[in-house]
Amino acid sequence: MKTVSLGAPRSSTVKFRMPTRDNLVPIRVDIEVDGQRYRDAFTWNPRDPDSEVITFAKRTAKELKLPATFVPQILQSIQGQLAEFRSYEGQEMQVKEKIMPLKIDLRVNNTTIRDQFLWDIGNLESDPEEFARTLCDDLNITDPEVGPAIAVCIREQLYERLLVRLFLL
Amino acid sequence: MATPPAPVPPVTANSAPTPAQSPFKAPPFSQPPSTAGTLKTEIPPASSSAAIAAGVAAVGAAAEDSSHVITVPSYSGWFSYDSISDTERRLLPEFFEGEVAAVSGSRGPEAYKYYRNTLVKRFRARPARRLTLTEARRGLIGDVGSVRRVFDFLEEWGLINHGAPPLGAKQGKDKREEATTSQSSLPAGPTTPKKLCVGCRSVCGSAYFTCEKADISICCRCFVRGNYRPGLTPADFKKVEISEDAKSDWTDKETLHLLEAVLHYGEDWKKVSEHVGSRSEKDCIARLIRLSFGEQFMGSKEQKMEFEIDDDVNNESRAEIPKRPRLTPLADASNPIMAQVAFLSAIVGSGVAAAAAQAAISAQSQVDMNDNQTDSPISSTKEEANDLLKEASTNAQVQLQKEQKDIEQSLSAIVDVQMKEIQDKISRFEQKELLMEKEREQLHHLRELLFVDQLAVVQHQRRPHAVAAENKEEEKPKPIITMG
Repeated sequence: MKTVSLGAPRSSTVKFRMPTRDNLVPIRVDIEVDGQRYRDAFTWNPRDPDSEVITFAKRTAKELKLPATFVPQILQSIQGQLAEFRSYEGQEMQVKEKIMPLKIDLRVNNTTIRDQFLWDIGNLESDPEEFARTLCDDLNITDPEVGPAIAVCIREQLYERLLVRLFLL
Repeated sequence: MATPPAPVPPVTANSAPTPAQSPFKAPPFSQPPSTAGTLKTEIPPASSSAAIAAGVAAVGAAAEDSSHVITVPSYSGWFSYDSISDTERRLLPEFFEGEVAAVSGSRGPEAYKYYRNTLVKRFRARPARRLTLTEARRGLIGDVGSVRRVFDFLEEWGLINHGAPPLGAKQGKDKREEATTSQSSLPAGPTTPKKLCVGCRSVCGSAYFTCEKADISICCRCFVRGNYRPGLTPADFKKVEISEDAKSDWTDKETLHLLEAVLHYGEDWKKVSEHVGSRSEKDCIARLIRLSFGEQFMGSKEQKMEFEIDDDVNNESRAEIPKRPRLTPLADASNPIMAQVAFLSAIVGSGVAAAAAQAAISAQSQVDMNDNQTDSPISSTKEEANDLLKEASTNAQVQLQKEQKDIEQSLSAIVDVQMKEIQDKISRFEQKELLMEKEREQLHHLRELLFVDQLAVVQHQRRPHAVAAENKEEEKPKPIITMG
């Protein structure tokens, strides 16, 4: 079990980051070119160099046998989302315990997951990846693609709440 | 490898090597992969009579499919599901070092183990099929960057996609050829001819940087961007050049042609390369710079410029060591132009970079001054630039003096204000003193009154006593009135 720190400070100010143990950004890509559609969602580390994005775009297009026109679009989409995240990074934000309901309602291949649970969006030690892994293990989910989808879904909701809180301040 | 499974000798028969091409079918489940390492090393290198599979051994799939034969190259004999070897710790330090990994959980050794074991298991479940990165990372819970690095590492060391057909390659013979070539070449390390950067996993160009502390090498881009572990500083890295002339040496004839062409055509590299013949424009330029004449080209420009831009830059250009281990890369890569400049200067070396910087500045000053003067001698621009500099310096001095005056004025204002404050305080204190004096006098007065009263009381006390004493002698039965 992870250690949960009780008696954490009531409210603290930190630099903008994802309220999770690892500062990873959820990225969603949805590109359509000439009738061919590429949809994907994954987690990205904003500290990876830009060359990583380029390599990823090329490799993905090659492995999925997408035409070369997809590569710049994938690149743009990912870089845009990363740039947006980085643009908030200098700001300070208030973090305090705030328990909110998160929802999962997604279908991956043949598996449908519908769930709702409470999450402390101010807990900087929370870990969506661990949650996803535990969920898949406990439910004996055999399809390996379900886990990442859950993790990304949780991160996206956390990111949304984060932005809402940031702009309301 | 398209060989039929041999009849099953017990694994201990490895010591009598058959031509090493045939993989051994190990008994399933009874052979944990961790012992496979020791068994493999028993196959003596002498079995390289079959030039292809020097040291290839077979490891029984520890999973369900016992009819599948999994081949693992001998240089990956350290692999084990249950532990992490030093090779992995060394080549993928991000999971094992730094405060992020120390917290463990999602980023530490456990995460690495999870990624690695899942990838290897997934590949071994279907070893004939190539496991793509996209498929792999879609099935792994974690960030894409880390997954990719583990994936590439495993693929390089043959623990994944070993013998599997590359993307789009034909089956059969091609497959075997591909497999054999991948077997015979060791993964990236100090011994391979092509340098692979540990940071971005791309091929390093003409130069790269090694770090002895961490025994890694990174390409110029990663060095400039600071794309190495947080524990290292730029000073730890040494620059190493890959000589390009080894590829094809320039004959004297070609060099002669080159020089002629440069004399005739100047900087028109297209014509120069045509004249030389079998060399591309880039090769010509590179060759020219590497020749001793190249320095003279740069050196003459230096003499004409007399700007004292930066003492450091000038000192470096005077020292004729073009490659210095100590570099000061411009780490701020946010400005793309600066990033390019930093990258180029890191490759090229300090001397050439200094000369190029001076040339760039002179070119800029030329553009600033007069666009019309196409054939202005370089000396006139020097004078004009000097004048500009003088103007600028006088301006600066005037501004300095202004600033100083301002400072003095504000200082005196501050002092005035402080004085006022003090005077106010003094006056207030004086008032308070007056008040206190008055109070003291009043107290004195009161004290005197009190004293008088006390005296009166005491006197009154005495008299009735005296009266009572007289009365006592006359009338005894009268009560004695005590006054107190």
